[in-house]
Amino acid sequence: MKRTGVFICWCGSNIGGVVDIPAALEEVSKFPGVAYATDYKYMCSEPGQEKIINAIKEHKLDRVVVSACSPRLHENTFRKAIQRAGLNPYMLEIANIREHCSWVHQNDKEKATLKAIDLIRRAVAKAGKIEPLYESSISVKKRVLVIGGGIAGMQAALDVAEAGYEVVLVEREGTVGGKMAMLDKTFPTLDCSA
Amino acid sequence: MVAAVQHPNIKLLTYSEVEEVSGYIGNFEVAIRQKARYVDHSICTGCGTCWEKCPTRVNSEYNLGMGIRKAIYISFPQAVPNKPLIDRENCRWFTSGKCGVCKKVCQAGAVDYDQQDELLSVKVGAIVMATGYDLFNWQQAYGEYGYGRFPDVITGLQFERMSNASGPTEGKIIRPSDGAEPKDVVFIKCVGSRDITKGKEYCSRTCCMYTAKHAHQVLEKIPDSRAFIFYMDVRTPGKAYEEFYQRTLHEGANYIRGRVSKIYRSGSKLMVRGADTLLGVPVEVEADLVVLATAMGPAAGSDKIAQKVGFSIDKDGFFQEAHPKLRPMETNTAGVFLAGACQGPKDIPDTVAQASGAAVKVCALLSKSELATDPMISQVNESICSGCLACKAVCPYKAIEEKSISERVGGKAVERTVASVNMGLCQGCGSCTVACLPGALNLKGFTNEQLLAEVDAICL
Repeated sequence: MKRTGVFICWCGSNIGGVVDIPAALEEVSKFPGVAYATDYKYMCSEPGQEKIINAIKEHKLDRVVVSACSPRLHENTFRKAIQRAGLNPYMLEIANIREHCSWVHQNDKEKATLKAIDLIRRAVAKAGKIEPLYESSISVKKRVLVIGGGIAGMQAALDVAEAGYEVVLVEREGTVGGKMAMLDKTFPTLDCSA
Repeated sequence: MVAAVQHPNIKLLTYSEVEEVSGYIGNFEVAIRQKARYVDHSICTGCGTCWEKCPTRVNSEYNLGMGIRKAIYISFPQAVPNKPLIDRENCRWFTSGKCGVCKKVCQAGAVDYDQQDELLSVKVGAIVMATGYDLFNWQQAYGEYGYGRFPDVITGLQFERMSNASGPTEGKIIRPSDGAEPKDVVFIKCVGSRDITKGKEYCSRTCCMYTAKHAHQVLEKIPDSRAFIFYMDVRTPGKAYEEFYQRTLHEGANYIRGRVSKIYRSGSKLMVRGADTLLGVPVEVEADLVVLATAMGPAAGSDKIAQKVGFSIDKDGFFQEAHPKLRPMETNTAGVFLAGACQGPKDIPDTVAQASGAAVKVCALLSKSELATDPMISQVNESICSGCLACKAVCPYKAIEEKSISERVGGKAVERTVASVNMGLCQGCGSCTVACLPGALNLKGFTNEQLLAEVDAICL
């Protein structure tokens, strides 16, 4: 039997001020496969992550749904957290109830709560089907190509070169310097640019 | 500039363009075309006799039409490398087969009319894009400023070339029409910036400061001069920026809040008509020279190079960062980083900061000998793959290859083509899974079964 843990984040008032989280929590706890569900003010904070880790151990959870902000922000944070609890980091599903719900439905709290429940329902259903994934490795050629020999390209090239790596700096004109070398004294110090 | 050439770890390829990029993070293969310069730089001493003697005079691109160069030339005295190249389009040897003066006068014997483009191939682990910006083409949009008909209406960059001691006027600020010293200089800010009807919606971020600098330079270099600046807002958010602007104000620059509606000729002068919206009155200023702070846009050809390297551009044509706040130095293509104005308008301090940031990202990548790959990539179920390769056609990362497999059908070995995913190249976008009719492709972490479970949960 799959043992899914659901963790609903308030994100302060960002989510908690719109979605009725206690009501959502009650509903979500009844979903098939959900072995444990809880909420917290800031799930991404250190105590929030500890809450997830402890729950995984205590309730023998084998997969986790975090219901919070966009995965672009904290998917990695939560992957690392569940890994610290001994799970495969990919046994995680995010339900985005901030950008996809509370932020865009601030004026209709009731429907926002229903939508949040549906978003979590979806995530729990998917979580029931996820499997551990494993990273593989590729080699790295220790050389960088910098395209453009203006101030940006030259600065990046010099910094990487100083660190001891090879740099190939490509410039389409006959000289490096770009627009910067065309300038006279530059603000705010009025020193020369070439 | 010289430091970049002299560094033992930097291989500099000027007059070169990237032709093709293949591969993936940690393992890019890049084809570079080094264009023929018709001068052998390994023996050229950079003495300058060739460009002194060359009889062909060409409008200098580097001086933005305000100076001339020869057909064999260096762009400016401090050019790096400080060795010339021949502009084939204008060189008499290439256009008519006659002349050959540069070859005759070159004591080192470095001029080589038979030099060919060279194709180089390099393997790199990371790529930094630093292709910069170009100025908005105001002549096409601003009829009220004369569409470029008035020679004394110039851009800020042209002003820089004049003001630059190694520029076409050796640092003297003049009126291009007659070479006279301008006394009254009008500056117009936001030409093309912050104006969706004329140009761009965004603020170009550098113009308020360089216009303050230009006004300061006019007042400093030209006795009894006056500087008038038509502005929408004055934006000086940088260290020591506001102080710099205040200094220009105290030096006597006249800041007029309002737009210019028309520039017209009046004798040898230009009349600049606009509004002072703080006083609520129309104003007219007689000007010897008008300097436009034109918008910054992406460099010409940046869309093409983005396509070659394989990442996206934003609505304005600048390179799209992976996240506007948290990942401004990265693209969404792993291993490709951004530095400077190619990502959006930037001044020098911000450009240097972003470039160093990109360098750290590169160093963090190159310091690893092996790299963990994202496992959320496509996988092929070979048993149901029909080998139609519709997936290959839609893959934006060129990550799908053909593979031949051997099967036993009715006791006989049969060869069959199937799709195969290169795990280094696949970015997990999922395009292929949609194109696959038999459903043989699945994106790990987003398999058909997983997606259907979600749909069922919502709809059933």
